[in-house]
Amino acid sequence: MKRRDFIKQSTLASSLFFVPNFISAFQKVNKATLGHKKLVVIQLAGGNDGLNTIIPYTNDIYYQNRPEISLSKPDLIKVTDNLGFHKNLGPLKNLFDKGYLSVINNVGYPNPNRSHFRSTDIWQTASASDEFLTSGWLGRYVEEYIKKPYGGIEIDDSLSLILKGKNLNGIATKDPAILNRNMQTPYFKKVLDTQSDAHLSEHNLGYLYQTMIEAQSSSKYIYETSKTFKSKQEYPNDPFSKQLKTTAEFINSHLSTSVYYVAMGGFDTHAGQANKQGKLLDVYANAMDAFVKDLEANDTFKDTLILTFSEFGRRLKQNAAQGTDHGAANNVFLIGKNLKTPGFYNEVPDLMNLDSNGDLKYTVDFRSIYATILDKWLAVNDETILNKSFSKMHLV
Amino acid sequence: MKTRHLQHLYFRAGFGLDYKAIQQLKKQSKKEIVAKLFEASKKVEPLSLDLSEFESYFNSDYKKPSTVEEKAEQRKLQKLGREKTIEFNAAWINRLTTSEAVLAEKMTLFWANVFVCRDNSVYHMQQYNNMLRRFALGNFGDFVKVMARQASMSKYLNNRQNVKASPNENFARELMELFTLGVGNYTEADIKASARAFTGWSFKRDGSFFLRKRHHDFGEKTFFGQTGNFDGDAIIDIILQQKQCARFICDKIYRYFVNPEPDTIHIEALTNQFYKNYNIKDLMLYLFNSDWFYDEKNIGSKIKSPMELLVGIQKTVPITFQKKKQLLYIQRVMGQVLLYPPNVAGWKGDRNWIDSNTLMLRLKLPAILLNNAVINIDEKGELEDDFEAYYASKNNKQRFIKTTKHWEVFEKEYHDVSQKDIRQTLIIAKIDPDTEALLSRLKFEDQRNYCIQLMSIPEYQLC
Repeated sequence: MKRRDFIKQSTLASSLFFVPNFISAFQKVNKATLGHKKLVVIQLAGGNDGLNTIIPYTNDIYYQNRPEISLSKPDLIKVTDNLGFHKNLGPLKNLFDKGYLSVINNVGYPNPNRSHFRSTDIWQTASASDEFLTSGWLGRYVEEYIKKPYGGIEIDDSLSLILKGKNLNGIATKDPAILNRNMQTPYFKKVLDTQSDAHLSEHNLGYLYQTMIEAQSSSKYIYETSKTFKSKQEYPNDPFSKQLKTTAEFINSHLSTSVYYVAMGGFDTHAGQANKQGKLLDVYANAMDAFVKDLEANDTFKDTLILTFSEFGRRLKQNAAQGTDHGAANNVFLIGKNLKTPGFYNEVPDLMNLDSNGDLKYTVDFRSIYATILDKWLAVNDETILNKSFSKMHLV
Repeated sequence: MKTRHLQHLYFRAGFGLDYKAIQQLKKQSKKEIVAKLFEASKKVEPLSLDLSEFESYFNSDYKKPSTVEEKAEQRKLQKLGREKTIEFNAAWINRLTTSEAVLAEKMTLFWANVFVCRDNSVYHMQQYNNMLRRFALGNFGDFVKVMARQASMSKYLNNRQNVKASPNENFARELMELFTLGVGNYTEADIKASARAFTGWSFKRDGSFFLRKRHHDFGEKTFFGQTGNFDGDAIIDIILQQKQCARFICDKIYRYFVNPEPDTIHIEALTNQFYKNYNIKDLMLYLFNSDWFYDEKNIGSKIKSPMELLVGIQKTVPITFQKKKQLLYIQRVMGQVLLYPPNVAGWKGDRNWIDSNTLMLRLKLPAILLNNAVINIDEKGELEDDFEAYYASKNNKQRFIKTTKHWEVFEKEYHDVSQKDIRQTLIIAKIDPDTEALLSRLKFEDQRNYCIQLMSIPEYQLC
């Protein structure tokens, strides 16, 4: 069903659409439903150890600092003369070989913060280290350019800062049927059914009604659109894969959502890292494999870009508990069909030149990656979203 | 005093007023009522849990655990600490709900979001929390100086690591940026100088302050154009000399207590009052006695914080949570867990509380708490969790929030009160005409049901 047809039908079907301004706002959405660019942002929450993800396997300093947890040749997949993937990243290596993966090394920001919460905020709001922003970069994008909550979806039950705008936010759901049921309770429906838009401009009260109307219509739209597509792709049976399956169903049902956010937890490996991280990378790689196949089978991979980051990397030197502590710069993955620089984008981490904490120094500001994606992929003005100009990269 | 003005005062200075109290108070003048409000907050009891299990740790003869038994003992204590933190969180909410010193408690909540701090040690956090309570209506200058000496703050903003050989600027920077002056009202050189003045400020295990003289920089510093051998207190005194400091705090006061939309003229009036003596009580007296505080545009203009919402409901219908963890869960999914601010900038407030997910939850909260409505939301995993714990839907199976509802309190208060009066008691914002028409069309036989429905309309979200 074409989007326009859907709107017409649901207009007849739902009393929600009695609000006249609302219909026109809905139709003003300028993106064509088919073929618009989508961005999926994945956070490896907890701080993934990038040095044991992409391993500098010819560097003695790496082995000296990690006597118990370094990965030697049998534990990795060689990719270049000096870098190899963790052996559980086989599916990612396949994407790499097809030219679907860019690995950007040494990504970070000045004066790195080593608190999970703070550094997550910095990455999600695209702020400087000493700046406290109240909205996320994807949220500002949704507010500025999509103007509807369903413009950005987090696959979870509550919304993270990354998808919060100033006056309009994205929406969170990991099960659109439950979301829709929660939003369409009889009493709220009654309240909204009697709403004319005459008083919606009042300050905070108008804002609440507006948010309520948009929440209901967005959840209904997400539910009714996404249920038209059920994924035939087989996914591994774990919660992260399930999140990606839901994301694929959203994308493949041609929901007019532009940005998605998924967090995968568990990367805070202070102790017994080897097993834990090995398992996590296995889950990540297999989920990505299924996700990309699912998108490819439905011809949506070409319009989807997948960015994977972590709030920080981990310290070069292992700790006494066969783990690693919070670090600074880290690698970032970009997965897509038409990458400008597939493979390794930049130089390998310089283990000789660490900061005073013994952590990797950044050479690429993460906001340059954001700016490039906003500018080249989502085709919007990156400076209005990031409040500042960042140099662009040759990514997409 | 006009009923509406009286309600407005109590919604802002506290968490609302019930019907009978309104009837009693409204015969009095504004001045009398405001005076009473302050009188009730004169005596403030500290909020104290029994933390005697931790005493041994804070004794001077404490030794680092070395044996297996000692280490096991320490782990047990850490676990107990986490449980006690949850207990303290619940005790604080209970205090907000039941205290007679409404203004002092509301101010404590306000200051907790100015001098933002987070600490895993419940022992130190309790001290910090009671410090906020003690100074909530006191002298601001003294307040800042004591705050800067707290163990929890020293840990939170790394002042413990701030030593002469290698100054750590974290506390000095946030002191000016977030606690007293606001960004752009000082120079980087001011930060460097003040960081030096706070070097060596540390604390003993029991939380008491002490100066590590070896690590303190006694040298000369230049701060805001003044030069001297300043220590931390001297720095704070110079900050207080800046009128911007009074302005910065009054801006926060205005947005929190008056209107989220700032009004520069009224903020300047507050600033002039505050700058006289930095007495917080005098400032609040001035505010609540001013005419403009009661302007119609200020009434019902503020979006309740999750805490104002939660406490407000319980003021009308007291609730006991059968599981403290569920109380924590409710706070988490609404985005405000007391003692766990998101970062040193604190909760942003007003519209930042609201997104599609939180609004629908907030609208449903009265039904969840009072009418056994199901809740279908899994809370987010923690960043430190491992994979399994991150995804373990912690309350997945608990779709009901188990509460004991003390409807008898509500019945006693409202059984002979008209529905119109109930509505005017619970809701201060002007009700949207369409919703009002709907409410008058629907027939509510039962006062309880009417109460829940009233709490479920968007207008109840405002105060």
